[in-house]
Amino acid sequence: MNKWIFLLCMFIMTASASAQIRVSGVISSKSEPLIGVTIAVQGTAKGTTTDIDGKFQIEVADENAVLAVSYTGYTTQQITIGKQRTLTILLEETASIINEVVVVGYGSQKRSSISGAVSTITSDEISELPVLRTEQALQGRTAGVQVTQNSGAPGSALTVRVRGTGTIGNSDPLYIVDGVPVDGLDFLNTNDIESINVLKDAASAAIYGARGANGVVLITTKGGKKDQEGKISYDAYFGMQQTWKTANLLSAREYAILSNEAHIAAGKTPLPEFANPDQLGAGTNWVDAIFEKAPMSSHQLSFSGGTAKSTYSISGNYFDQDGIVGGSKSGFKRYTVRMNGSQAVKKWLTLGTNIGLTNLKRQFLAENNEFTTPLVRALNMDPVTPIRKADGTYSYSRYSDTDITNPLNAIDQTHDKWQSYRIVGLAYADLDLSHGLHLRSTYSVDATFANQNTFFPKFDLSNDPALSDAPAGEKRLINSVVQQSNIWRSWQWENVLNWNHTFGERHNLGLTAGTTSSENRHEYAGGANTNLPSNDPKDAYISNTIDPIASQSAYGGAEESALLSYFGRANYELDGTYLFSAVMRADGSSRFGANNRYGYFPSFSAGWVISHNDFWKVKSVNFLKLRASWGRNGNQNIGNYGFSTIVNSGQNYTFGPGQTITNGNVALTAANPDLKWETITQTDIGLDAEFFNGRLSLTTDYYIKNTSDMLYAAPIPLTGGTQAPVRNVASVSNKGYELALQYRNRDHELKYSVGGNIAFVKNKVTGLGEGGEPVYGGRVQSGNSTVTKTEVGHPIGSFYGFVTEGLFQNQDEISRHAFQNENTAPGDIKFKDLNGDNVIDSKDQTYIGNPSPKFTYGATIDLEYKGFDLGIFLQGSQGNDIYNATVRYDFSYVNRPVSVLKRWTGPNTSNSEPRVNLNDPNQNARVSDRFVEDGSYIRIKNVQLGYNLPKSILNKIKLEKFRIYVSAQNLYTITKYSGMDPEIGAYGGALASGIDRGFYPQARVLLGGINVTF
Amino acid sequence: MNYKSLIFILLVSIIPNACKKDFLERKPLVGATEDNFYKTPEDAIAAVNAAYAPLQFEISEGGHFRWFWGDIMSDDAIKGGSGDNDTNELLRLETFQGPANTSLLEGEWSADFEGIYRANVVLERVPGIQMDAALKARVLGEARFIRAWFYYNLVTMFGGVPLVDHVLAPSEYNMPRASAEQIWAFIESDLSAAADALPVKSAYAQADLGRITKGAAQALLVKTHLWQEHWAEAQSLAETIVQSNEYQLVSDYSKIFTSEGENNSESVFEIQYMNASGGNWGKNNANEGTFTNVFQRARGAFGGYGFNIPTESFVQEFFKEGFEDPRLKSTVFRVGDVMGDRGTFTKDATGGFPYDYYPKKYFSNKSEEAPFGDPNPNGGSNDRVIRYSDVLLMHAEAAFHNGNEDAARTSLNLVRKRARGTSTTLLPNVTASGQALLDAIYHERRVELGLEGHRFFDLVRIKRAQTVLGPLGYQETTHRLFPIPQSQIQATNGALTQNPGY
Repeated sequence: MNKWIFLLCMFIMTASASAQIRVSGVISSKSEPLIGVTIAVQGTAKGTTTDIDGKFQIEVADENAVLAVSYTGYTTQQITIGKQRTLTILLEETASIINEVVVVGYGSQKRSSISGAVSTITSDEISELPVLRTEQALQGRTAGVQVTQNSGAPGSALTVRVRGTGTIGNSDPLYIVDGVPVDGLDFLNTNDIESINVLKDAASAAIYGARGANGVVLITTKGGKKDQEGKISYDAYFGMQQTWKTANLLSAREYAILSNEAHIAAGKTPLPEFANPDQLGAGTNWVDAIFEKAPMSSHQLSFSGGTAKSTYSISGNYFDQDGIVGGSKSGFKRYTVRMNGSQAVKKWLTLGTNIGLTNLKRQFLAENNEFTTPLVRALNMDPVTPIRKADGTYSYSRYSDTDITNPLNAIDQTHDKWQSYRIVGLAYADLDLSHGLHLRSTYSVDATFANQNTFFPKFDLSNDPALSDAPAGEKRLINSVVQQSNIWRSWQWENVLNWNHTFGERHNLGLTAGTTSSENRHEYAGGANTNLPSNDPKDAYISNTIDPIASQSAYGGAEESALLSYFGRANYELDGTYLFSAVMRADGSSRFGANNRYGYFPSFSAGWVISHNDFWKVKSVNFLKLRASWGRNGNQNIGNYGFSTIVNSGQNYTFGPGQTITNGNVALTAANPDLKWETITQTDIGLDAEFFNGRLSLTTDYYIKNTSDMLYAAPIPLTGGTQAPVRNVASVSNKGYELALQYRNRDHELKYSVGGNIAFVKNKVTGLGEGGEPVYGGRVQSGNSTVTKTEVGHPIGSFYGFVTEGLFQNQDEISRHAFQNENTAPGDIKFKDLNGDNVIDSKDQTYIGNPSPKFTYGATIDLEYKGFDLGIFLQGSQGNDIYNATVRYDFSYVNRPVSVLKRWTGPNTSNSEPRVNLNDPNQNARVSDRFVEDGSYIRIKNVQLGYNLPKSILNKIKLEKFRIYVSAQNLYTITKYSGMDPEIGAYGGALASGIDRGFYPQARVLLGGINVTF
Repeated sequence: MNYKSLIFILLVSIIPNACKKDFLERKPLVGATEDNFYKTPEDAIAAVNAAYAPLQFEISEGGHFRWFWGDIMSDDAIKGGSGDNDTNELLRLETFQGPANTSLLEGEWSADFEGIYRANVVLERVPGIQMDAALKARVLGEARFIRAWFYYNLVTMFGGVPLVDHVLAPSEYNMPRASAEQIWAFIESDLSAAADALPVKSAYAQADLGRITKGAAQALLVKTHLWQEHWAEAQSLAETIVQSNEYQLVSDYSKIFTSEGENNSESVFEIQYMNASGGNWGKNNANEGTFTNVFQRARGAFGGYGFNIPTESFVQEFFKEGFEDPRLKSTVFRVGDVMGDRGTFTKDATGGFPYDYYPKKYFSNKSEEAPFGDPNPNGGSNDRVIRYSDVLLMHAEAAFHNGNEDAARTSLNLVRKRARGTSTTLLPNVTASGQALLDAIYHERRVELGLEGHRFFDLVRIKRAQTVLGPLGYQETTHRLFPIPQSQIQATNGALTQNPGY
C-alpha cells in the first residue's frame, strides 16, 4: 500500500497544467471490479460512476484536479490527476454488513454467504448499554429475540425467547461462550464480549442438535489481534439508580373511610379507631418507604495486543450494583478476570487458551411472589400503621393479614447471601494440515463453586414482648441458619475437522465434521441449625450453637448427565451466488430413556444472491439474497433421570412415645422409559438486501416453527396415586415475521445511523396429549384461582376468567340478571352469563387476555458530529396483556389503589368500580377481565451522549482514545399499565407469564463513564 | 500434511468413539430406583411407612381436614375464617351449594388414592422380600388397613369409586367407578385380613406406638358394618374388641385432648402429628406437623385462622338433659374462658369476630408450639380418629338394633360414667328403652365425640341428615354424597361419572 501511495505522490509532483483532460480508469476491490463507484471532481459539480466492468471516464479541468472516489463499504480515496490519464484504483474494503464475518456453530462465514437466519450484535452495541447481564444487552437489539426482565433486582435472571415460546417447559436458548456451553450468563462481564450471534432458524442451530431447539446464542469474547501494538484501556462508569414510578394508594384517611363503608356493607360494626378518619391524615406511604437510591459502578482494566505469531488479551473488571429495594440487601458484586491468548508454535500448530474467572457476591430478597416480597407487602400494608413505634423500633399492623407484614422490617430481617467462584476455560490446538484442512481440538471446563448462607434472626415487633402481641409473621422467637454449598462442574472435549477448497474458481466447498463428548455433574450439601446463641448474621454458622449436634440437620447429594455427539456440515457455494448447506447431528444423551438414547437432527438451507447475477441491473439494490432453510432441532432441557422410577425417601411418619420421625420410601412419580427430546421443526424463508450502496440494509424472515413431542407432565387421573410422569405428548406452533432495517450515512461530518427491528409472533398450542385436557396455571391469591388456561387452539398460558359487564345499579337489575350469589347487592359486578343458563358459574369463563405480545420492537438512532456521539435506544412491546394481581383481595384489610375512591356508592355513581364490602359476597375479586390490562409499552431504554477527544490532542498527550459519556437508562416509559412496571416476565414458567404479583420494578439509571486507551 | 498430524488426527477421532458404551448410562446417584429397592426388611418397613404418610395429608390439591367434612358440613360447626371469601369453596359446600370443581374435594380424592397407591406398592413388593414371616404379615396387614381406611373415606364421601387393587399402569388410569357395594365388600375383606394379621396394641414394641393394631382394624370394620346395617356382625366384633381388654376409657375426659392424652389407653386409631419437623405444606411434604391447631385457633391475639366455629345448636346439645354436660368445657371455649396460655377469650381479642364459641379439642398452648420454623403449619396434636368410647357407642347402637337393649345401655352408660366422673347428679345412667334409647345413643355420640369429625357422616349413616340439615339446604338425594371432583371427570375423559344432583 505505502509503495503505491508513494508512486502516486511521485506522479503528483511531476504533474503539469493543461486544459480539459480526459481521464479513464478501472476501479476494483482486491477481488473484482466494482460497479457503481462514485467519482466526483472536488470543487465542481462534476461526477460519474463506474460501469459493470468497474470502468469510468471523466473530464477534469487541469492536472491539479482531485478525484474523490467513494463507495459504500470501502474507504474513500482522493486522487490528484497529475500526469495520469489512465488510472487503476484499488479500493480498500471497510466493514460492510454483507462482508462482516459471522460466527456460526463450529466456524464462521461471511454474512453474504449465509443461508440461515443469524443475527449479530457487535461489541459497540453491547458497550452502549452499561448493564450487569449480557441478556440485558440483547433486549430490543435483534428481531425475534424477546428479552424480558423478570425483576429489577440486580443480577436477576431474564427471560430470553428466540422466536416465541417453544415449549411449556424450559424455553431458554442454548448459550455458548467461545464454544463452551454455559448455564446462565451472570458470570460474564459484558465488556469482554466481542460479538453475540443468535442462531434463530433450525438450519443454523441444527449443528447443536438436541440442544438447539430454543435457538442458540453464540458469544465470542475479545482477544488480542495479530501484529497489533499493545494497548491498555481503562473503562469505568458510575451511576445512580432510582425508581421511576410510584404507586397511587389510599391515604390513611381514605383507607379508614373505605374500611368503615366495607364494615357497614358486610353488616359489621366499623372499627372504633376509625370513627374520625380526618384525624388520620396521609399516613404511611409504604411503597415510597421501601425504595431508595442505589449506586452502580464498574471498573475495567484491559491489556491486549499481538505479534505475528501470538495474541493476548487480559482484562480485569469489578462491578457493583445495589438494589433500589433493600440497597445492599439485594446487591450484586462481581469480580472477573479474563485471559485470552494464542501462540503459533509451529507453522502447522497454533495453541490457545481462553480463561475466565468470576467471583460473584449476591444477596437475595424475595422476588416475584405474592407472599413474601417487600413490594407486595408495601402495596398491601395498611397506611394507618406507622413505620416505626415511638421508641424507634418497627411497628406491626393491627389489620393486615398473615403475609402482609412490615416490609422494612422484613428487609432488615433478611440475610440471604450467595457467593460463587466460577471458571470457564478452554485450551485448544489448531492444526493446519495444509490443503485447506484444519483440525481443532478443544478441551473446556466450566466449574462453579458456590456457597449460600441464609440466616433467619430472632425478632419480635410486639408492643409488649411479655404479651408477645405481634402476629406470627411479625416475630420470630427462635433464630435459625441454613448453609448450602454447591459444585457444578462440566467438561467438554470437541474435535472438529474443517476443510475448505475452491475448485476452478467458481466452486467453493466447505466441509466440517466433528465429535463432542461432555459430562456435567452437580454436587450439593447443606445443613441447618436453630437456636443460635448469637443473633448477629456475622455469626450465622451451623456450628455456632451450644449443642450443635442435637439440633442440626444435614443433606447432600449429586446428579450427573452426559452427552456424546457426532456432527457434520457441508457448505457449497457456486460463484458466490448459489449457496447450499446441509447439516446432520447425532446426539446421545444420558437424559433420554434407554429406548431413545440417540436423536438425529438434520437440516438443509439454500441461498441465492440475486444481485450477483448478470441480469441484475437495479443499481439502487446493490445486494439481494433470497434464502430458505428447513431443519430439525431438539430440546433436552428435561432434567436428569426422568426415565427411571426413583424411590423417594422422606415420605415419613412418626412412631413411638417420643414421636420419632421414621423414614418412608415410595416412588412419587411414575416412570417413563420412552422419554426423549422435544423436537422443533422449523422452516424459514428470508431475504437480505442492501440498497444505495449499502446505506440501507434490510433483513426479513418468515418462519414456521413447530414443536412436537413436547415434554409435558400431562395430568393423569389422580386414581393412579402418583404424580404424572413427564411424557413427550404436547405440541405447539410459532409462526412469525421479522424485519430489521438500518440506514447509515457516514459521508458527512454529521454521521448518522438509524435502525429498527420488529418481530411478530403467533403462538398456538396444537396438542396436549391424548385427552387434550387443558392445563391451568398461574394461581393468584387475590382471585383464589388460576389465571391461565393452556388449551389446544390457543396461545400458551392465555388468561382465562369471567367477563364483566358493568355493575348492578339496583336490585331490579340483579333479579333480571343470571344468578350470581344470594348476597349479591347493587354496586356488585355483573358477570356475563356466557352460556345463557341463568347462573354465573365456572362455565361462564372464557379467554380474557394473552400475555404474549403481538409484536416486539427496538430502534436505535446514533449520531456523530465531530467528537460528539449521541445514541438513543428504544424498545417496546405491543399487544400483550398483564393480569394485575398485586392487590391481595383475599385479605379484607389490605390497602387499595386510589381507583377504589371512584367506587359505587349509589345508583349510577359508577359502572366499573364495585362497592366495598369486607366479605365481598359477590366475589368481585374473582379472576376476571377486570384485572386484565393492556401491557403494551414503549421505553426509552437508553440515551447516551459521549465526547471523544480529537486526534490532535490525543497525539499530544500520547493517548489513543479518550471518551467521556453520560447516559440514562429507562429514561421514559409510555404505557397504559397501572402497575409499577409493564415489563412482566415469565416468572413461574410459560403457564404463568404476564401475571404481576408485585414485581420488583426496573430502576432508572443515570450514569457517567470514561474510556481511556493508550 | 506430516506424520505427526496424522497420528494426532487418529488419536482425537478415535477416543470419543472409544468411550465406554456406558458413558451415557447414568443412574440416579441419590435415592434408590424401584429396581434396586424392596430387598430388605428395612425396605419393607420404609415402604409401609410411606403408606402411613398420606394419613397425615390435610392439604393436598386443596385442604381436606377430617373436620371440614365431619364438623363444618354438619350442624355442629360453621366454617369461620376471616370472612366469606376465606376458603369460600367450603362455605359453598357447607351451605349445600357445593361446586364440583373445588380443590378441597380434589385434595381429599388425591390423598385417598395416593394412600391406596402406596398401600398397593407394599402389597405388591413386600411379599417378594426375604424376611421374618411375622413381620412381613404385619407389614402387609398395616397396608391392607391403610388401603381400607382410604376407601372408607372415599365410599362415605363419594359412594362408588374406582376400585384400584394394584399399582395402575398408565393404560388403566381411566378406570370407571365400581359400585358402593363393591367398595364396601373390598373394605371388609381388607379389614378382615388386616385384623387377622395385625398384632394387638400391647403386642407392639414401644417404638412402634402409633402403628395400626388389630383393634383398629376391628373398630373400623365395626364402623363399616354399621354403615351397611350389618348389626349382628357389628355387635359381635365390637364385643371382641371389648373382650380383648386392650382398651379402657381414661378416667378424666378433659385429659383426652391434651398432649399427654395422645395415644392413651382409649386410643384405637390415631393419626400421629408432631410439632418439631419444620411444618407441613402440601401432600408430599416430608414434615409431620398439622395445620389443624392454627386453623381452629381464634384469630386476633390468638394468632389462629378461626375455623370450625361451634354452633349454638351444638352447644345446646350439652344442655339437653337439664344440666351442663361436663364435656362441654373440654369441647368448646366460651367468651370469658381462658384459652390456655394464650389469654382470655374476648371478642375484641379475637379481632372483633362475632363468634361466641371456638373449638377446644385441637387447641394447643403457645408453650407447645414448634421449637423452630413456622409454628402455623407445625401443630403437634394427633388426630383422634377412633376412640374406645366410639367403639362402645357403636356397640350400643348395634346391640340396640339387634334388640339387645341391656347390652346397649351397658355400653352407653360406661361412656356416661366416665364423663360424669365423681359427680352424683350429672349424667345419670340411661334407663330408657326403644326409640328413647336410640335417641340417647345418638345424643351421646354428638356430645362425647363432638368436633372430632364424626357428625356429618353419622347423620347420613343414621338417615337423619335430611331432618337435621334440611333447613341448611341439604337434599338427601344429592347431598348424602359429595360431588366427584370435576377435574377428575375431565381427566378420565368422562370415564368417571358425576353423582346425582351435581
